[in-house]
Amino acid sequence: MPTDTKRVRGPEVSQSLSRFICKPETTLPSDGTRADGRNRDQVDVRPVFVRCGLVSQAKGSAYIEAGNTKLICCVYGPKETERKDETDMKCGRLFADMRFAPFSCPERGSWIQGSQEKDLSLMVLESLQPAVCLHKYPRSQIDVNVMVLENNGSALAHAITCASLALADAGIEMYDLVLGCSIRQDGASYLIDPTFLEESGSNWASGENQGSLTVSFLPSLNQISGLQSDGEMGEETLTAGVRTCIEGCYKLYPVIQQALVKAVRGAAPPPSES
Amino acid sequence: MSPMKLCVPGEFILCSTDDCIPGTGVYMRHGYIFSSLAGYVLKKNEGEELPVISVVRETETQLLPDVGAIVTCKVTSINPRFAKVHILYVGSTPLKDRFRGTIRKEDVRATEKDKVETYKSFRPGDIVLAKVISLGDVQSNYLLTTAENELGVVVAHSEAGAQMVPINWCEMQCPRTHTKEFRKVARVQPEYLHA
Repeated sequence: MPTDTKRVRGPEVSQSLSRFICKPETTLPSDGTRADGRNRDQVDVRPVFVRCGLVSQAKGSAYIEAGNTKLICCVYGPKETERKDETDMKCGRLFADMRFAPFSCPERGSWIQGSQEKDLSLMVLESLQPAVCLHKYPRSQIDVNVMVLENNGSALAHAITCASLALADAGIEMYDLVLGCSIRQDGASYLIDPTFLEESGSNWASGENQGSLTVSFLPSLNQISGLQSDGEMGEETLTAGVRTCIEGCYKLYPVIQQALVKAVRGAAPPPSES
Repeated sequence: MSPMKLCVPGEFILCSTDDCIPGTGVYMRHGYIFSSLAGYVLKKNEGEELPVISVVRETETQLLPDVGAIVTCKVTSINPRFAKVHILYVGSTPLKDRFRGTIRKEDVRATEKDKVETYKSFRPGDIVLAKVISLGDVQSNYLLTTAENELGVVVAHSEAGAQMVPINWCEMQCPRTHTKEFRKVARVQPEYLHA
């Protein structure tokens, strides 16, 4: 009798998947202060270090550090569209690319873009697109490349902030800056701007309202350009979370503004009054 | 000199449309003017009634070739039907990235359009002054024309390698070998002509 060599036969008796999930070693402490001294349920974003214009080859660039999360972003363009079939006569096109360096996460990754990175790149693109005045650059493309050097939580939120800063540094016309902020909902309390352990840690005890949320916000126009959420949260918790993220973005706004102003002043003397 | 105000994209600039006209680097929303660049706020009195407010950065705003702009380009390849060029300068600002353009056979000169031979008008490596007539469509490049007296070849090298001197509107001469070559020459500006 010919044997079936191509199919992998599973076990005859099936068992529930949850039996085999190993519980993560790190669990979120349910109350009290967080590991780095910040408080729960308070809009306490990590202090941020921002610099623009550090990559001389790129048209514009920005570097952001929040706690241990370090990201760098470069912007190239507007240049002629590389692929002819993507040329749009009326407005320019934005291409966003987000990558994690192999040494950025606790577990070593690879240089090839994985599916998670492709997802994140799409989210960065979605958040930036409403803010850029693309109609001023017909037939051109603008490339935004974000690289995460060290991921210690809320990489997407900081990537969006970094990318919009780099775009402003490149002199690309925008309606407004885009700021990102993320929270981790843990039961009834929330942690704003979570670290890597807080993001990935889980609490099996409290089943409901466990999730994370990233919001990208245009502060001057008061509009939300991107929203990404993970996990299971109730309706009111979600809306409260969005409001908290917006507050977090407002806290970040003056620092970002100052960094941009510093970069412009450093790059060029004021034009003479004619 | 009072310090110039710096602003970031999305920042509300102090006036509404009643006081100023929006210039470059700004946009209007609900009747108010907001900045769209990170730079210095410049208020200019153009001589009309209202001052023009604009935001400038030192690096000249990225200029894209626009219809009617005079561009300086370099010929990359020629073909009996058209010549392909790389646009290097728009007006007097150099472009950081090269855009591609096409000069069709019928756009080389204004008269006797059908008798034009591209081989006798341009050669690869020539620097040409041209004007943008169209942004082209999705598949094609920018369309340029040299059908004016002031447009055409500005700098060309002969087959011997020396830079040629223009003799008349359709010939250039090599100073080393004294051979004449055909080009569609741009008219030299009067200030550069020695008596």
